[in-house]
Amino acid sequence: MSTKPLLTAIAAACALALPAQGQARQVTLTTQLKNYGGDGAYLAVYLTDAKGAYAGTLWVAGGKAKYYKHLSDWNRLSAGDARRLNGVTGASVGAGRTLKVTADLADALIDAGYEIRVDAAVEDMRDSPGEIRLPLTTQNAGKPQPGRQYIQSLTYQLQ
Amino acid sequence: MTMGWKSVHRWLGLTLGTLAMVLGLSGALLAIDPLQQAWQAPAAAPGLPVATLVQRVQAGMPGVEEIRRLPSGAIAAFGFSGEQAQALYVDPADGRLLGPYQPSSMPRWVKNLHRALLLGDAGRWAAAGAALAMAVLSVSGLVLLLRRMGGWRQLAGRVRGTLAQRLHVLAGRVVLAVLCLSSVTALLMSASTLGLVAPGAGPEPEVASTAVSAAPLPAGKLPLLQDLRTGDLRRLNLPDATDPTDTWQVTTVQGQGWMDRYSGQTLAWQEATAAQRIDDWARVLHTGESAWPWAVVLGLSGLSVLLFWATGVLIWWQERQGAVRIADNCTLPQADVLVFVASEGGSTWGFAQALHGALVRAGHRVHSTGLEHFQTTPATRQVFILAATYGEGQPPAHARHALQRIAAQAAGAVPVTVLGFGDRQYPSFCAFAQAIEQTLRARGWPALLPLECIHQQSSQQFARWGGALAQALGEPLAIDYRPRLPPTTALTLVSRRDYPGQDGRPTAILRFSWPRLPWHERLRGHGLARFAAGDLVGIVAPGSAVPRYYSLASGSADGFLEICVRQWPGGLCSSHLLGLKPGDGTQAFIRSNPGFALQDRPRSALLIGAGTGVAPLAGFIRSNDGRTAMHLYFGARDPARDYYFEPEIQRWRDEQRLASVQTAFSRVPGGGYVQDVLRRDRERLRALLAGGAIVRVCGSRPMAQAVAQVLDDILGTLGLSVRELKVKGRYAEDLF
Repeated sequence: MSTKPLLTAIAAACALALPAQGQARQVTLTTQLKNYGGDGAYLAVYLTDAKGAYAGTLWVAGGKAKYYKHLSDWNRLSAGDARRLNGVTGASVGAGRTLKVTADLADALIDAGYEIRVDAAVEDMRDSPGEIRLPLTTQNAGKPQPGRQYIQSLTYQLQ
Repeated sequence: MTMGWKSVHRWLGLTLGTLAMVLGLSGALLAIDPLQQAWQAPAAAPGLPVATLVQRVQAGMPGVEEIRRLPSGAIAAFGFSGEQAQALYVDPADGRLLGPYQPSSMPRWVKNLHRALLLGDAGRWAAAGAALAMAVLSVSGLVLLLRRMGGWRQLAGRVRGTLAQRLHVLAGRVVLAVLCLSSVTALLMSASTLGLVAPGAGPEPEVASTAVSAAPLPAGKLPLLQDLRTGDLRRLNLPDATDPTDTWQVTTVQGQGWMDRYSGQTLAWQEATAAQRIDDWARVLHTGESAWPWAVVLGLSGLSVLLFWATGVLIWWQERQGAVRIADNCTLPQADVLVFVASEGGSTWGFAQALHGALVRAGHRVHSTGLEHFQTTPATRQVFILAATYGEGQPPAHARHALQRIAAQAAGAVPVTVLGFGDRQYPSFCAFAQAIEQTLRARGWPALLPLECIHQQSSQQFARWGGALAQALGEPLAIDYRPRLPPTTALTLVSRRDYPGQDGRPTAILRFSWPRLPWHERLRGHGLARFAAGDLVGIVAPGSAVPRYYSLASGSADGFLEICVRQWPGGLCSSHLLGLKPGDGTQAFIRSNPGFALQDRPRSALLIGAGTGVAPLAGFIRSNDGRTAMHLYFGARDPARDYYFEPEIQRWRDEQRLASVQTAFSRVPGGGYVQDVLRRDRERLRALLAGGAIVRVCGSRPMAQAVAQVLDDILGTLGLSVRELKVKGRYAEDLF
């Protein structure tokens, strides 16, 4: 449907604070945005554990700290993480475009109750904390998950 | 080298002003949004409790998730219809759904052009730079405006100059403050967007609703929402239907709060920080989003940037065209003669050019420059200072530190000769040149010639000084000064009224018309400048290079140009004018006479004139639409021969344009001079002057001296003097 070029971003490494360091697997997340008719979207892609506690940030699209309060769930949950933006920020994602993020995740995170969450916000439009909540399981890999307002689909592939 | 306010204003305007214009125009487009939003949906009553508002909105839109009070006061509700996100205006009075809510009617690129020139972060820096430039342009513009108008009190006075100058100044007077505010708020917004100031609030508190009872509370039962008025509301997020631990979240002008969905208790409250409040205010002031009339003001001032830019470029171009260029200007170290010039309008440079040329032809190496660069070198043999005085004895702006510079230098052995330029009409005639002369002599500099002061750029006086200079130098000096005449316009005589006059010197009131040019021609400086009664018209008679000036008895608004001309014995110009028949033409230009023409509406005016000197006074009365109490004292010789404007004066009396008229005729039995009538009316004049009347005197020099003497006596009893009134601009003379 979209003929716009892919916006590709590569997250080099995600050092997530984990209880146990096991084998790492590469995860590729592909986020396709709807043509919602607005400016570039701010997105925060992060993980929460089985209890809903913040486990780490995979990617933040959008560079102005002024606007992070609009990614309110992520902004609140990750407030204690001083390294939440380390090496994982990029430009905001335009309507209709695709964001591709690669991260190294420990095996222990998969099928362990962890959830991939995305908060989204667009200027002059409604904030969408909890745009997507998708359990990080082997079964869900490769299955497109639609978002509430701005995201057409989020798909992750495990390697 | 220091840059004056004028250079800062000019160069910033010509460079970054272009960028500021783009921002101004896009800003004007964006100002349509608040207007349109105010149209689209009714504003909520500010006193309405938010709890009631929520109940109404929920009735109209059961699945509502977020309610916003828009800056316009309208209410928008957000939710989902199936999978489709919904944003609708809601009538706060009854919860009726009014139609879809759109954040802006403008295409997005307009906003992105306005704040980032469509260039992302680099563009944001450029836009912030343009905002800074705009702020500096506003401040320098204010300084120049005050300088031009003569201070805060004269700020509302009449604006003179070419059409481009007038438009620039008039618009500046109106929107300068708004533009300054817009640019300062833009800088505040840029600073927070570019991350130069820290975002206000800390992280949100960790809160959750705890289920203590089975059913969540309805909105009407929440104490915080009952107390909160809609006027303070910004945004309200309702708890997620599917998440039992989710809370209510409210954002108000004062801060942010979270409420338990079961108990209704306020779980946390975050006060808005000072930085947030400043940011909010900057936004409101910059966008006009919460008050559409302010948005209209902002939009118009945004459009005005185009006007400033266009007229500014024109003014710069016209000044460039009119600038004096000095040929054969030798460098400072090589020159044996230095000419330093202090000139406000540039006319003194014309004299400098003539002197420079004559000295070069006499074999000298001459360096001419601005007086602010005053200094001598080992090669210097002679120094000349040509200094104009501006307004009430001030130096021209570029030379305002020149006096200190001269005072700070040790005296040399080289003679420094000062030539002053000014107008005797002002009480401080050539005051700046005199101050320079005094400073130089006090420091011990020798002089080749004593100080000479040239009145009203008289070329005859300048030629005499040139003769004296040639003699003092002991070398022939051919100073060829041609006054730089402004471009002239052809006037056509419409009608004339002839008076026999006295001593075989006929007089006539001549009425001319001038060609009306389209506005774009006038904007380029073509055509006759605007004029008011009391300004001067310069007439260039055929075969003459020197203009003669006549006081105007009408203003442009009257639609005709009228002067009163008396035959001057052997006068080339008066003969030419008095020889004109209706339909004949003459070449003319306007010279403003700011000290004499009426600046603003005085409470009362005492107008004293003799002979043809009544002309500008008649013009004042003619244009007295505000019915200022004007009292005319008119001296002539014989009512049958030279009572100029008699029928008009009678008519103006009937129309109350003229409060009273007293005449004095010197050639009739029992007659006298106008000063005699003034002396007779001493008590009446005392009351008028005590009441703040302004005084205008027009006529011959002896008559003006006699009048000044009588008025000085009267003013003395009030503890005042003519000199004091002159300094305040209340007393002015137009003499011939």
